[in-house]
Amino acid sequence: MPQARGEARRRTVELSDDELDAYIEARLKLLGVDLSVLPEEDEDAPADQRRIMASARRFLRSTPGAIADYALDPLGPPPTIYPSEVRAWNDE
Amino acid sequence: MSELNRRRFLERMTSLSATAMVAPAGLAATAPRASARSDAPTIVPRRSASRARGRVGRPLVLPDIERRQVADLTELTLVEAAAALRDREISAVELLEAYLDRIDRWDEAHYRAFNLVASAEAREAARVADAALAARSGAGDPLTGIPLAIKDNYFTAGVRTTANSYLYEDFVPDFDATSWARLRDAGAILLGKTQMGPLATTAASTPDGERTTRNAWAPFSEEVSPGGSSSGSATAVAGRMAASSTGTQTGGSITNPSNAQGLTGIKPTMGRVSLHGILPLTYTRDHPGPLARDAIDAAAMLAVMAGPDPADPRSMGLPPVPDYVAAVRPVDRAGRPALRRPLRVGVLPDFLREPEPPATEPEQDPTPDADRVGSAPPPPDRSESRYRRELTIGAARRAALRTLEELGAEVLELGFPRDWETLTSFHFNNVRLPERSEIFLEHLRDDVRKFGVSLSPWINGLLLPGAEYVRGQRGRLVLLRSILDDVFGRCDVVTQTAPFPFDMVGLPLIGFPIGFETESAGVPRPIGGMFGAEPYAEDRLLELVAAYQRVTEWHRRRPADPDELREASGSSSEPGSGRYDLFDVMERGE
Repeated sequence: MPQARGEARRRTVELSDDELDAYIEARLKLLGVDLSVLPEEDEDAPADQRRIMASARRFLRSTPGAIADYALDPLGPPPTIYPSEVRAWNDE
Repeated sequence: MSELNRRRFLERMTSLSATAMVAPAGLAATAPRASARSDAPTIVPRRSASRARGRVGRPLVLPDIERRQVADLTELTLVEAAAALRDREISAVELLEAYLDRIDRWDEAHYRAFNLVASAEAREAARVADAALAARSGAGDPLTGIPLAIKDNYFTAGVRTTANSYLYEDFVPDFDATSWARLRDAGAILLGKTQMGPLATTAASTPDGERTTRNAWAPFSEEVSPGGSSSGSATAVAGRMAASSTGTQTGGSITNPSNAQGLTGIKPTMGRVSLHGILPLTYTRDHPGPLARDAIDAAAMLAVMAGPDPADPRSMGLPPVPDYVAAVRPVDRAGRPALRRPLRVGVLPDFLREPEPPATEPEQDPTPDADRVGSAPPPPDRSESRYRRELTIGAARRAALRTLEELGAEVLELGFPRDWETLTSFHFNNVRLPERSEIFLEHLRDDVRKFGVSLSPWINGLLLPGAEYVRGQRGRLVLLRSILDDVFGRCDVVTQTAPFPFDMVGLPLIGFPIGFETESAGVPRPIGGMFGAEPYAEDRLLELVAAYQRVTEWHRRRPADPDELREASGSSSEPGSGRYDLFDVMERGE
C-alpha cells in the first residue's frame, strides 16, 4: 500500500567518525576529489581537512536521513526541479 | 492544482537538459592566490554582440512622477533621473560624474561595494548617451544615461567577470548576459561590477574569506551584515554610488541585502528573467532581479530585464509579462492613496510571533563550531540586544499591516501550509547542494583549494545520495502544491520571514523597508518586510509596495556618509579588517 505523505519512519543507526570518514573518503576518491592538498589542521587557512571532514560527517548524520524520513506515495508527485514553471507550462 | 501533463513536462525537461549551461571555454586552471579589489578594469574589445535577444513585448514607458528637487544628483531615483535626462535638465555626463565622485570618496576606503569600476568606458557611454538624448529631443530608450552596478556573475562583454572566485579571476566574457544586454539596449550604462560572495555562495568576500563589502548604514560595524551574496550591489545603491543594480538570489540574496540596506528588491519567479550569461550557482534556484531604491525603480528595471529568451528554455512558454510599470502607477480613491486592485494579504504565524525573551545566562554550544557546520541551522541569538531588535521589528510589521489595511487591503491570519516545517527545513534546503557541486565538479576534481573558504558546502553536495536528491525534488512539488492550496487559495500575497521557502519552489518575493531601529548598531538600521506571491504575479507585489511607499517615507531615507557615521558610532574600525570563516559561510550561505 502507498505510504502516507510525510509519515515518519525513523531508523537511527549511529555511525562512528571512522566509519563516516571511510565513506567520505571512498566517495571522494571515486569522484577523483582530493582533500589531501589542504593542510591537515590550520585554523588560519581558508579550509583544512579537519574542518571539512567534520562538516561532512555532521552533514551525513543529519540531512540524508531527514530527507529519507519524509515518506511519499510512489504514485505521488514526480520530482520537479522547476515547480513554478511546471504549473505555468500546464496552464494551471 | 490538477495532475501534471506528463508529456509536456517531459518534453520541457528534455529540452532543458539538452541546453544545460557549461562553464565558459578557455578557463585555465589557476593556482589559488589572494584576490583583492581591482581598480584597473580588464576591458577588451567586444568580440561578439550579445546573443539571445528574442524579446517580445511592449515598449517601456516610464511612469510620470512628481520630481523632487535634490541638491545632489545621486539622490535621484532611477525614474527621476531618467525623466531629468529625457527633459535635458541634467546630462548623462553630470549624472555619471556625481556617482564617480561618491565612488572615489567612499568606496575604496569604506563601502567596498565594487570590485571593478569601468569609469573610462562609462564616461564614453555617457557622452554617447548625451548625444542620443539631444538628437531625440526627449524620446528614445527609457534608461538612456542611467549608470547601473551589475553583480559580478553577470557576463559583461569585454569586461572582466570574476564572481569573486579563483576560478574566474581572469575571465573576460565575449557576450553580455541577456538581462544585462536588455538593460544596456534600453540605454543603461555599465558603471561597474559589484563585490559578491565567491560564486554567489555567501556574503561578499574574497575567495579566502576576507570580507569586502560593508552595510552602507553601518560601515563601521562588523556585526551588521550587508546582506547576502549580492551585498555589493545593495551597498552600491544604498551608498548612492549607482542608480540601481542587479543581483541574483539562490538563497535570499536579493531580498536579504535589500532588507538589510533599505532597498526594494524583487526576486522574480523562476524563468521570468533569463539566466543566460549568468554564472550559475544552481540551475534550479538561481533568480536574477533588481535591487532598487523603491518599487517604481524596481518595476522599471524588471520591465526591461524580464521576458522570454530562446537561449534560456526556462524563460520560454510562460505567461505574458504583465505591465509592471502600470502596476506601480498611483491610484486614489475618495481622494486618498489606494491599492490598484482588491488585495488579500495572508499573514503566516511567524510574521507576528513574539520573540523569545533573552537568555539570563549565555547558552553553551554543545559542540565545537567546526563540528556543527553543515548539520543544523545556527542556534538562536538570545541576547538582550537581539530581543529588543525583534520587538522593534514586530512593531514595524504590525504597523505595516495596519498601513496596508488603510490602503484597502484585507489582512487574513493564516496557518502554515501542510508539511511547511519539514519541507522548508534546513535539510530540504540542502537539496540544492548537489546541483552546486555538479556545476563545478571538474574544478573540484582539479584542486579543491580553488574554492577557498566556501569549500565545505561544495564537498557536502558531493555526498548527498541520488535517492535523497530525487526525494527532495519531489518534495518541492509537494511544497508548491501546499502553498498554492493552503495559502494562495485564500490570499493574493503572503508574508515571509525568510526567503528560502519561496526560493525552493521558484515563487516571487519582494523585500522593502518598513521601519528603522537603532538598538543593534547604535545608528539607524533599516527593518525590512518581505512578501511573496503566486507564480508570475510580480505585479501584485509591486502594486502592494508602490501603494505602501506612497504613504510611507522609509524608502526615501538614505544613510549618512561614512564620516558622519564614524562619529555617530564612535568606532575606529576600518572596513576590510574582518574575515569570514567556514562557519560563517555555512550560516550565510546561499
